[in-house]
Amino acid sequence: MVTYIQNFIFAYVATIGFAILFNTPKSALLKAGFGGAVGWLLYSFINFKSDNIVLATFIASFFIALIGEIFAITNKKPITVFIIPGIVPLVPGFGIYFTMLSILEKNYTKAAQYGSEALLISISIAGALTIVLTLNSYRKKKQPIKIK
Amino acid sequence: MSKVNQKKLLVMAIYAAEIMLKNGAETYRVEDTINRICRSRDFPYVESYVTLTGIFISVDTDGEDLNDMITYVKRINKRVINLNKVAEVNDFSRRFVESRMPIDEAMAVLKAIDTTLPYSITLQAVFGGLASGCFSLLLGANVLEFFAALFTSILVTYSIHKLKQADFNLFITNIAGGGLAAFSAIVLSSLHASVNLDKVIIGAIMVMVPGVAMTNAIRDSIAGDLVSGLARGAEALLIAISIAFGVGFILQGWIFLKGGILPW
Repeated sequence: MVTYIQNFIFAYVATIGFAILFNTPKSALLKAGFGGAVGWLLYSFINFKSDNIVLATFIASFFIALIGEIFAITNKKPITVFIIPGIVPLVPGFGIYFTMLSILEKNYTKAAQYGSEALLISISIAGALTIVLTLNSYRKKKQPIKIK
Repeated sequence: MSKVNQKKLLVMAIYAAEIMLKNGAETYRVEDTINRICRSRDFPYVESYVTLTGIFISVDTDGEDLNDMITYVKRINKRVINLNKVAEVNDFSRRFVESRMPIDEAMAVLKAIDTTLPYSITLQAVFGGLASGCFSLLLGANVLEFFAALFTSILVTYSIHKLKQADFNLFITNIAGGGLAAFSAIVLSSLHASVNLDKVIIGAIMVMVPGVAMTNAIRDSIAGDLVSGLARGAEALLIAISIAFGVGFILQGWIFLKGGILPW
C-alpha cells in the first residue's frame, strides 16, 4: 500500500515535469499530473497482478485518455494538453534502451524480444487512445458546426 | 464587406493556423480553426488542406466574380512543442467566431499569443530533471540513482535546448542527447557502485521520447489525415532510433575501452 502511495506521488511529479517540458498551460499542470499518476498506478497494479505489460499499458492509457477527455470538456482546452504528459511515462523508453543494449551484446534473440515488446506497448497505447478519441469525435459530431 | 477586409481575415486565419501547427497542434484542429474563422465572416466557400509542413487555404467570396478567388500557401519549416499556445489559439478562435471582434483587434491578440514566452530554460531543465529522477524512482531506483538521473537529465534538457536553438536537425539533436545521457550515466555510475547504469540512462532518455509525435500521429490518422499521420509516425520513429543510436554509440565505445567485458 505504501509503495502505491509513493508511486502515485512520484508519477504525479514526473508527469508535471514532462508537462512543463511541453509548455502545458499553468492551469492544466495539476490536472495533467493527476491523469498521469492514476494511469501509472493502474499500470503498476495490473502489471503486478497479471504480469502482462501490454495489457497494463492498454488499460492505463485508456484511463489516462478518459480522464483527459473529462478535463478537456470541463476546462474547454484541447485534449492533447492533458493526455500527452500523462502517457509519456508509459512510452517504452526502457524497451528502446534494452533493444539497443541487446544489439550491442550481439544477442539478437533478446533484441527481437525487447523490440517486439516495445512495439506492442506502443501499439497498445495507440489502440487505447484511438478508442477514447473516436468516442470523442462521435460526441462532437452530435453538435452541428455553427455557420455564422 | 470590402475586399481588403477579406484579405485581412485570410491573413489572420493563416496566422492563427501557423501558430497552432508550429507549436504541435493536430492537423484536423488546424483545419477546423481555419474553416470556423472563415465561415464566421461570410465566406460561402472555404477549403483548407494542412499537412505537417504546410498550410493551403482557398476561399471564394460569392462565386459570381471570377476575380474573387483567393489562395494562400504557407510553408512551415520549424516546429517546437508549446501546448500553451495551442490552447490559447484554440480559445481565441472560439471567442472570435462567437463575437463580432474586429480583425485588427484579433490580429493584435494573435501577436500577443505568438510572442508569449515559454517556460524559462532553467525551469524546464529543473523539471525535466525532476521528471527523470522520479521516473527512475518508479523503476525502483535508490536515492543516489535519483540524483544521478536528475543531474544527467538537467544536462540533457539544457543541451538539447541549446542545440535546437542553433537550428540543428532532429536527428543530430537526439543523437547528441542520447550520447550525452550515456556519457554522463557512465561517469556517474563509475563514481559509486550502487548507481545502476541502466536506470540512470532510462530515466534520462524519458525527456526525449517522442510522446507528442506519437499521440498526434494517432490523432491525425483517426481523423483521416493519413499524410500527416504517417509523417508524424516517421518523426516518432526517427527520434526513437536516433536516441538509441546516440546511447548505443557511447556505450559501445565504453565497452571497447573496457576491453569488451560488460561489467554490469
